[in-house]
Amino acid sequence: MAKKSSSDGTKTKKNKKKSSKRSGPNAVAMKQKAPQPNPFETIWSRRKFDILGKKRKGEQRRIGLARSLAIEKRKKTLLKEYEQSGKSSVFLDKRIGEQNELLGEFDKAIMRSQRERQLKLSKKSKYNLSDGEEDELEIQGGLFPEKDDFDDEIPFDGDEDVDDGSTGNGKKSDILGELNFTAVQNAQQTGLAGQETRRKSKKEVMEEIISKSKFFKAEKAKDKEENEQLVDQLDQEFTSLVQSEALLSLTQPNKMNALRALVNKSSSKNEEKKHDTSPALDKTATRLEKPDSYDKLVSEMALDMRARPSDRTKSAEEIAQEEKERLEQLEEERQKRMVAADELSDEEPDGSDDNDASSKQFRSLSGDDLGDSFSHDEDKKTKLGWIQQILQRENAEDLGSEDAASTEESGGSEDDSEEDSDEDDDEHDKTHSVKDWEQSDDDKIDTNLQDDEDSDGDRVERKKKEQEKKGKQMNLSDTEGQKAIAKQQTVQQGELPYTIEAPKNLEEFTSLVENCSDDQIVEAIRRIRAFNAIHVAAENRKKMQVFYGVLLQYFAVLASKKPLNFKLLNLLVKPLMEMSAEIPYFAAICARQRLLHTRAQFSEDIKTTGKSCWPSLKTIFLLRLWSMVFPCSDFRHVVMTPAILLMCEYLMRCQVVSGRDIVVGSFLCSMVLSVTKQSRKLCPEALTFIRTLLLAAFDKIQGSADDHQLHHLMEIKTLKPLLCIKSSVKEINHLDFLMLIDLPEDSPHFNSDNFRASVIAAVAETLKGFVNLYEGFNSFPEIFLPISKVLHKLAGQHRMPEMLKDKLRDVAQFIEKKADEHHVLRQPLQMRKQKPVPIKMLNPKFEDNFVKGRDYDPDRERAERRKLKKLLKREAKGAARELRKDNYFLFEVKEKDKKLLEDERAENYGKVRAFLQEQEHAFKSGQLGKGRKRRR
Amino acid sequence: MVRHYKMKGHKKRKRDKVQYDKEENGEEEYVEKSVPREGGAEEEEDEENMNEKKRRAEELANELPSLPIVLADDQKNANKPGVIFILEKASLEVAKVGKNYQLLNSDKHANFLRRNGRNPADYRPDIAHQAILMILDSTLNKSGRMKALYVKTEKGVLFEIKPHVRIPRTFDRFSGIMLQLLQKLSITAVGKREKLLQAIQNPVTKYLPINSRKIGFSHSSQKLVDMQDYVAAVGNEMNLVFVVGAMAHGKIDVDYVEDFISISDYPLSAAFCISRICNAVERSWRVL
Repeated sequence: MAKKSSSDGTKTKKNKKKSSKRSGPNAVAMKQKAPQPNPFETIWSRRKFDILGKKRKGEQRRIGLARSLAIEKRKKTLLKEYEQSGKSSVFLDKRIGEQNELLGEFDKAIMRSQRERQLKLSKKSKYNLSDGEEDELEIQGGLFPEKDDFDDEIPFDGDEDVDDGSTGNGKKSDILGELNFTAVQNAQQTGLAGQETRRKSKKEVMEEIISKSKFFKAEKAKDKEENEQLVDQLDQEFTSLVQSEALLSLTQPNKMNALRALVNKSSSKNEEKKHDTSPALDKTATRLEKPDSYDKLVSEMALDMRARPSDRTKSAEEIAQEEKERLEQLEEERQKRMVAADELSDEEPDGSDDNDASSKQFRSLSGDDLGDSFSHDEDKKTKLGWIQQILQRENAEDLGSEDAASTEESGGSEDDSEEDSDEDDDEHDKTHSVKDWEQSDDDKIDTNLQDDEDSDGDRVERKKKEQEKKGKQMNLSDTEGQKAIAKQQTVQQGELPYTIEAPKNLEEFTSLVENCSDDQIVEAIRRIRAFNAIHVAAENRKKMQVFYGVLLQYFAVLASKKPLNFKLLNLLVKPLMEMSAEIPYFAAICARQRLLHTRAQFSEDIKTTGKSCWPSLKTIFLLRLWSMVFPCSDFRHVVMTPAILLMCEYLMRCQVVSGRDIVVGSFLCSMVLSVTKQSRKLCPEALTFIRTLLLAAFDKIQGSADDHQLHHLMEIKTLKPLLCIKSSVKEINHLDFLMLIDLPEDSPHFNSDNFRASVIAAVAETLKGFVNLYEGFNSFPEIFLPISKVLHKLAGQHRMPEMLKDKLRDVAQFIEKKADEHHVLRQPLQMRKQKPVPIKMLNPKFEDNFVKGRDYDPDRERAERRKLKKLLKREAKGAARELRKDNYFLFEVKEKDKKLLEDERAENYGKVRAFLQEQEHAFKSGQLGKGRKRRR
Repeated sequence: MVRHYKMKGHKKRKRDKVQYDKEENGEEEYVEKSVPREGGAEEEEDEENMNEKKRRAEELANELPSLPIVLADDQKNANKPGVIFILEKASLEVAKVGKNYQLLNSDKHANFLRRNGRNPADYRPDIAHQAILMILDSTLNKSGRMKALYVKTEKGVLFEIKPHVRIPRTFDRFSGIMLQLLQKLSITAVGKREKLLQAIQNPVTKYLPINSRKIGFSHSSQKLVDMQDYVAAVGNEMNLVFVVGAMAHGKIDVDYVEDFISISDYPLSAAFCISRICNAVERSWRVL
C-alpha cells in the first residue's frame, strides 16, 4: 500500500474533484434515482462566517453525499482490484461494442450484423462455407491476431491498477479506431444513417487537422509567390519610369541622382540596362542643372554669416585700463587743443567754431565731470606760457612716476614742483594754529606709517630736506614763490589735468587741490584713482596706499580747519570709502594707528587735570568716517571694536565742565547708538552719561541711594546743575552740532535755557533709541528703570516746558511699559525638572493591499520554497487521507468476507455436528438410520 | 481509526493559543512560580534604570552645574491604576467587493451595500478610526497609564490594540491595517514578533482586571454627570473601564457595564466623548 501512495494520491485527488463537480444539482438528481436515499446525504456543510460579497459556490458541500459517492467509486475500482487480486486469469468480454458504454443494445446488434455482412462480402470469405459461429471466431482472430492471453495486461495484484486503467483505455480506443475505419468504408458503401452520426475518432480528427494545415501552408506559399511577383513587376515598371523622359521633366534635376542611386541599390539586375542608358541620362542632367530657387536658398543658408560670439564681459582690470587710456587720450587731446586753440582763434572764427564743436564733443564724452564746463571756457583764454610751464612740470612728474625707483633727479624735480605748494601749506599751518596739536602729530604718524608700509627709507630724509628747503625758500625767494603760486592757482583754477600722478604726501596733494572748488577736488581724486587704478598695474597698489594715507590726512586736516568745509568733507567720504574697500588691509592699519595715537594722547591728557580731554572735531569726524567705512555689526573688528571702546572711554572718563562738553558728549552718545544699532552691543557708558546729563538738569544735587549704584562707575561725577532750566523756555530747537562746536567754550549760548532745553530733548531722543535697541535684553528693567525714575522727577520740575515734560514722560512710560513686559515674562527660580518620557510607540507591520494567503516575504526564494513545502504537505496529507479511507474500505470488505467465511464455517460445523449428533443418537438408540428408525 | 501524531501536535498548539488568551484568568496558577524570577528581573531593571537615570542626571548637571535637577519618575505609572477603553459596535466589516476584500465604507461602497440590501449609513469605520486615534494620542496614553484598548466589531469580532501602537493616521492606511487584522487575526510590530493588534476570544470581561469600574456611555442615559466630578468620586485606586460606542446610530447594550452615564446634554461624537473622558481623567490624576 505504501508503495502505491503517490500514484494513489493523484488518483484520489481526481476522484475528489470529480465528486465535487458532481455535487451540483445533476448529481443530486442522479442520486435521487437510487432506491432509498441515505438520510446522511441530505446534510449540507455549515458556513462559519458570512462574508458579504463572497460567492457561496465552493464553500457549500453535502458531506454525506460526497462520502457515499466516494464509497461507490471505491466499489468500482478498489473492490474490483481486490477481488481480482486472488485470481490468475481474467474474463475479457471482447464482443463488438461491448466495451463501449455509450452504445445501446440495438446499436451493438447493428454493428455486429454489419460486420458479419462485410466479411461475407470480402473476397476471402467467398469461398468459405458460411457457418455463423465460426465466422465470429474468425473475425475475432483476424482482428486481433497479436493479442493473446499472454499480452493481455491483467492486473494480478492491486499494484498496477492505474496502468490497467490506461491500457484499458488504450485498448478501447484501438478497437474503436478499427471499428471506425471499417465503419467509414462501410458508410460510403451502405450509407447508413447511424454510422454518420457517430463521433469522429482521434485519428480522424488528427488527419483532418493535418490536411487542413497542409492546405493552409500551400495557400500561404501561393500568396507569397504572388506578392513577390507583384513586387518584381513594380520594380521593373519603376526603373523604366525613371529612365523615361517624363519623370525627368516632372522632378528636379538634382533629385534624379538620388533616385538613380536608389534604383541602383535596389536592383542590381537593372544595372546593365542602366549602363546603356546612363550617357543619355547624364546629358539630360547637365542640361537641366540650372539652379532653382530652392537650391539657391540652400546655398545662401550655407554661406550665411554665422553668429559671432559677442565681446566677453570685461574684468575689473580691463575696465580700469580702459579708463586710464581714455583719460590719457583726453589729456592728449586737451593739450593739442591748447596749443592749437590760440592759433586757430587768432586766425579765424571758423576754427573756433570747430574747436567749439570739438569741445562740445568732448563735453559729451566726459559728462560725469562736473566743473569742467566752466574751466573749458577759461581754457581758451589761458596763454601759452603758462601751459608750457605746466606741461613741463607734468612731464617731469610722468617721468618720475615711470621710473619706479625715483632717482635723485626726479626727486629734485618733484621737490621743485612741490616747493610752491609746501609754502602755502605752511602758511595754512600757521594760520591755524597752535591749537592743532593733533594735526602735526598726525602728520608724523602718517609718515611713520607710510614708512612702515612702503619701507623706503628715503621718504623721511626727503621730508627733512623739504622742510629745510622750505625754510630757505621762505627766506630767499618770496616773490618768486608768490609768482609761482599765482601761476599755479590760475592754472589749477582753470583746468584739471586728466592724468594725475598719485600724490606722495600731503603737500603734493594740497598743492594739487589748492584753489580748486569742492567738485574739482572730488574730480581730481577720481582721476587720480582712475589713472592709478590698482587693477592696471601692480605697483599702483603701493601708490594708492600712499595716496589713501594722504587723503585721510587731508580729511583730518580739513576737519580741523576753522571755517569748516562740511560739504567737502561729505564729498570726501565717498572716495575714501571706495578706496578702503579696495585696500581694506591698509585702511584698517591706518585707522588702527590713528586710534592708537588718539588713545595715547587721550590718556596723556586725562592725567593733567584742568584740561578738557573731550575729543576734537577731527577725531569725531574720523570716528564717524570709520563707522561708515567698516562694518559696525561685527562681533569683533580690528577697527570698530577699539573705536567703540574709545568712544565709551571718552564718555566715561571725560569731565563735563561746560556746555560744549555736553554737546560733544551727547553727540558721542548718539554715535554710539548708531554704531550699536545693528550689533545690539550694550554700552553702559553711554547710558550712564545720559543719566548724568539728566541729573545735571536738576536744580539741586540729589544724591539718593540708588544713584550711587551707577555713579560709582564714573570716575568724575559732574553734578553741577549745568542743564538746570531756570526760566521759561519758548521753543526747543534741534541742536546744530557744527554750529555749537564752533562756539568758544565760554559762549553765553551755552548758558541759555533754550540750549539746555534742546539738549535735554536731544538726550531724551537718544535715550529712546537706546530703549528701543535694548528692549530685548533680559536685564532691561534693571538698566532702564532708574533712568525712568530720573525722568519722572525731571518731568515734575515746575520750570520745565510742557513739551519737554511730555517728551520725558513719554520716554519714561515707554521704558516702564517695556520693563513691565519683561517682568511679566520673568519666572521665579525653580527646580529643573526632567521631562517625563512618553511610552515608546511601535509601528505595526501591514501590507497596503493585503490578500489572504499571499506570502509577503521580501525574500523571493524563501517564499517560493515555503509555498512548495506547503503544497507538498497538503498533498501528503491528502494522500494519507485517501489511503486511510481506502484501508478502511478494504478492511470493511475483508471483514465482510471474513464474516461470510465464518458464517459458512459455522454453518458447516453445525451441519456436521448435527449429522454426528444424529449418528450418535441413532447409534445409541440402536437404529442405524432414520428410515430404519422410522421403519421401526 | 487512531489519531495521528501530527494531529495531536496541532491540537497542542491550539491549546497553547487558548492558554494565551486565558492568560489573565489563569494568572493565579503560575504566579507563585514566576514571582521570584520576575522580581529578580525587575530588580535588575530597576538597577539599570537607576544607572540610566544617574547618567542622565550627570549629563544634565554638566550642562548647567548650578541648578539641581529633579528626576521625573514615570516608572511608577506602571503600578498605578490605569484606564481601559472598550469600543463597542465598531463597524469594521470586511467584504469581497469585486475581486478583492475591502473594509466596508459608506463612501466607497455605497452602491455595493445597497445592492446587498444593507444601509450604507451604518458602515462608518472612520468613527472607530477617530476614536482609536483620540485614545492613543491622549497624554494619558503617553504617560503609560492606558492599560489596554479593546474593540468589538458589529459582527462580534473582538480584538485588542496594544497602547503603544502607532495607528496609521490616514484613513486609507487604517482600513488597510484593519483589513489585514480581520483576515489574518493578528498584526505584528515592524522588526519584532510582538503582536500589536490581535483578535481574541470573546467575551471581553475575562480580560478586565478585578478591581475595575466599568462605565458605559450613552446619551440616552438619565444619569447626566460632570465627568470630572465623576472620576474624582471614583477614587484613585480603581481601574477605570470606559465602554464607548463607535457606531453611527443606536446605543450600546452590554451586560457587564456597571454604570451607564451621560456626560453631556448633547449627543457627542465618539472621538469627542473620548477626549472629554481623557481630559477628566488626566486632570484628576494630574497627568499634564
